[in-house]
Amino acid sequence: MEAVLKNVASAVELLAVAAHSDAVSQWDEQTLSRAFQWAGYCEHVYTRFHTNSAIRRVVEKQLQHTNATLRDAFADYNEVSFMDLPRCEHLLLRALLNNPQLPISTIRILFGLKNGTSRRYHYQEVTGLCSHLIQCKSACEVLCPFSGLSTVSAEAEVQGEMLMKRLGALLSQGSDPSQAEHFLHSSLPLCEGAARHSCLVITAALLTASDSAGQTSSQSFLLDWLQKEHGVLQHMGSTLPSAVLKDLAGAHRKFRDAYFGTLKKWASEMEYSLSDGEWVPACTAAAPALSFPKMVEHFSDLFDACPSLRRNAEDELLHLKILDGDFDARGLSVWGDILSEVKK
Amino acid sequence: MVSIGSTAETMKELPCLGQILGRLCWNPYVTVGDTNRGLLLQCLLGLYSENPSNALERKANQWIRKVLCRLATEDDDPAAQILMKSTGVPPKEYHLRVLKKMVKQHQENIEKTCCSKKSIDQRCSCDVILTTSEVFVPLLDCPEASPVICSLLQRPGTSFTDALSEDFLDALNSTDLRLAVDETALVSVWYHSLPRLEEAVLDLLEFATSTGSAPQNLEQHISKTQLPKACAHHCSMFLVVNDIFRSILKQAEGNLAVHSVIQTFTRCFLKELEELQPRTAASLKAFFPQSPTSLLVPLLTLPSEMPQEAWKNHLEWLTASLQRLAEQEEEEEGDSQSSRGHHNVFETWFLLVQCSHWVQVAGELLVTSEAEPCSNLLWLMTFYYHPTNRWHCRAALLEEAKEAWRHLRTLSSASVRPLPTDHLQPLITLLSLKPQRPSAPLLTLSLMVYCAIFCQLPHSQSVEIFQTVVHAAGLLHEAACVLNSLQHRLNEGSCSSRDTVHVRIKKLQSTVTHMQAGVNPHTPHNRDQWELCCRGYRRDQRPALSLPQPSSFIICCEHT
Repeated sequence: MEAVLKNVASAVELLAVAAHSDAVSQWDEQTLSRAFQWAGYCEHVYTRFHTNSAIRRVVEKQLQHTNATLRDAFADYNEVSFMDLPRCEHLLLRALLNNPQLPISTIRILFGLKNGTSRRYHYQEVTGLCSHLIQCKSACEVLCPFSGLSTVSAEAEVQGEMLMKRLGALLSQGSDPSQAEHFLHSSLPLCEGAARHSCLVITAALLTASDSAGQTSSQSFLLDWLQKEHGVLQHMGSTLPSAVLKDLAGAHRKFRDAYFGTLKKWASEMEYSLSDGEWVPACTAAAPALSFPKMVEHFSDLFDACPSLRRNAEDELLHLKILDGDFDARGLSVWGDILSEVKK
Repeated sequence: MVSIGSTAETMKELPCLGQILGRLCWNPYVTVGDTNRGLLLQCLLGLYSENPSNALERKANQWIRKVLCRLATEDDDPAAQILMKSTGVPPKEYHLRVLKKMVKQHQENIEKTCCSKKSIDQRCSCDVILTTSEVFVPLLDCPEASPVICSLLQRPGTSFTDALSEDFLDALNSTDLRLAVDETALVSVWYHSLPRLEEAVLDLLEFATSTGSAPQNLEQHISKTQLPKACAHHCSMFLVVNDIFRSILKQAEGNLAVHSVIQTFTRCFLKELEELQPRTAASLKAFFPQSPTSLLVPLLTLPSEMPQEAWKNHLEWLTASLQRLAEQEEEEEGDSQSSRGHHNVFETWFLLVQCSHWVQVAGELLVTSEAEPCSNLLWLMTFYYHPTNRWHCRAALLEEAKEAWRHLRTLSSASVRPLPTDHLQPLITLLSLKPQRPSAPLLTLSLMVYCAIFCQLPHSQSVEIFQTVVHAAGLLHEAACVLNSLQHRLNEGSCSSRDTVHVRIKKLQSTVTHMQAGVNPHTPHNRDQWELCCRGYRRDQRPALSLPQPSSFIICCEHT
């Protein structure tokens, strides 16, 4: 273990040198290659130990120590955390390319332009690394407009996988569930603009067929979290197309129940506007809100997707209507109006 | 830019250059292709000054570094970045996974919405193929895209007006494909891209002719290229391949390696064809439209497919037909229609080259048959090596062949040691090129080889004769070619009496190899000639799918 810690410390020092020192001007192709091998080593350390909380703590302690030393040595030093280890190659590359002392000949190697000719990239080599990166990114951009081929886009699907994998790792460590919840909060922001994206990622994560017990428990955890986070559910209800919501409700019972709860909450926050002759969300209702016809559509879709829910749900709505006075006239009970629309 | 000089001067000449390059960097259609990306980066780095001498150059340097850093490390999807950080997935892995997933989605889309592979005769009428091929045009040299590209290429299509987009087909010709190409995809690429098919054929020919010694695993190599199989499935491909062969033959006269390739290729092709359909005259005619119909089946029949006793008669009939054809050509000479006669003779001769097994049988029978009148067989062999009768040299060549034959006959019947040198020397003379008279060294050489293998002399003696003569004449490479061709043919048959023959051939082959080790194996004459004709083909000859008429049969009686 000592050797590993020492190596990690060396690798982090190497990162700092790559970012801030003019020693890089002396680096030849072999040195460059070795530097990237060190970065690969860090990634390997992460892969090996990220589910082992004891070792993780030890490595984090070492990192703290190394960070402190390097902070003293370099003015604008960026600290390296444990979660930075799997992205070491990227950090190294960024550090090098931002370092004005890096010779242009080294940049040529990284872009596969040695000796004036383009060289092909071979996996895990250094030559042409940047070129390959650019090709991948560009290819994704070229194909992006045509991503309407399946329910969720490729990016959402991959992000969903990444989310689930990390969640699974956190859960399997037997650590405090609040850590996993914190992870979900930080990975799925709901602020302006990001909310829709987060909803897509969650959808992708939930719609991927689960092929292991670990994955099932991750999905279960995610669903529990969703049930607590009404905000997320509301975003999902208002931004996702109904077909997708139907799929989700059909795939996961917990989602179905939570979503039904959200719809009821929305409905309960509606007021009847005499001037419009329609139910509208109250001004005090939390955004986002649905219009009445939209909400009815959602209720219908939910019942279509889950016939088993229908009867119980209709009974429940009927009960609520009765509590409101059991009037059949429109505009007096939102539950009655929903029921009558849904039964059409 | 290189010629202009410093960056400052360049920017003065082309003030918008920086702007243009900068914009191009963010255009994914430019940065996705290897060539364009390489050029763009070269341009950018060309503007970099190693020793900046003014503020403009320093600023340019800074800007270039910044652009390169952004290109390689930045992401403009903040939500994805957050997730990457929190899940510990590096951008390289993320983008690669996304790309692979997108490709997979497209592939599933193709398979889902298009006809199944079972109905290979039906053309798919859906738009998915067209749209997908259009989408993937910029990604032809992206290795991760190869599953879809292979899928697109393998769609059934019975005519050239396939569902693939024009742009896709054009790009197929010019892009450096980086497909993990499997068998069917490779055939599809050839089917859709004529230049690629030509490339594959020329590569094959180069392989066969540029190795130091005649490759003994030629048949294996040819089969491995998948070309014969592809031709068996697509008649049009076979016609194109043959056109290339014709062209090369006309320019590389006397190159026995080329003859070998053509013969072996045809044999492999026929084997593949046999698997697909029973051999009928009608079906064969489609593949050999220009060959005289009466000769087609007789020539294509392998010697192993008929009893040995019938060989002589068969050859006599063949020779008689060929002689008739040749005479017809001579009659028409001087006539305005003479090109037609030449054309017929050329096509017949080409078919003979494709079916040289009969020429080998003729050689074998010459040696082994007791009866003397064998002028027919000699005529056939002379025709094989010298098909034209320009300047009426055929009669003279036939005489020379007979003379060589007499010498060989004497040598092989003499059981007296030491060797009768008064017969050896004339042979050596016959084997050398003579600038003034028409000469037949290759014919003499093959007669030599057949004698050495099939004669009654004790083997060591025949090897000695062979060694002496061939060494003196310097025709090692050609001798190897003849031996290898013979060996290929004999490998088909399975008679036990052939074992001694095989042993002899092997012994001669090793003798030749030994001799070649001591000498520069590839005569400069052949190699230069080969390079010239390859270059010539690539520059001039681009056969269209409709076969061109060979304008004139330009083989001269003299070697160049």
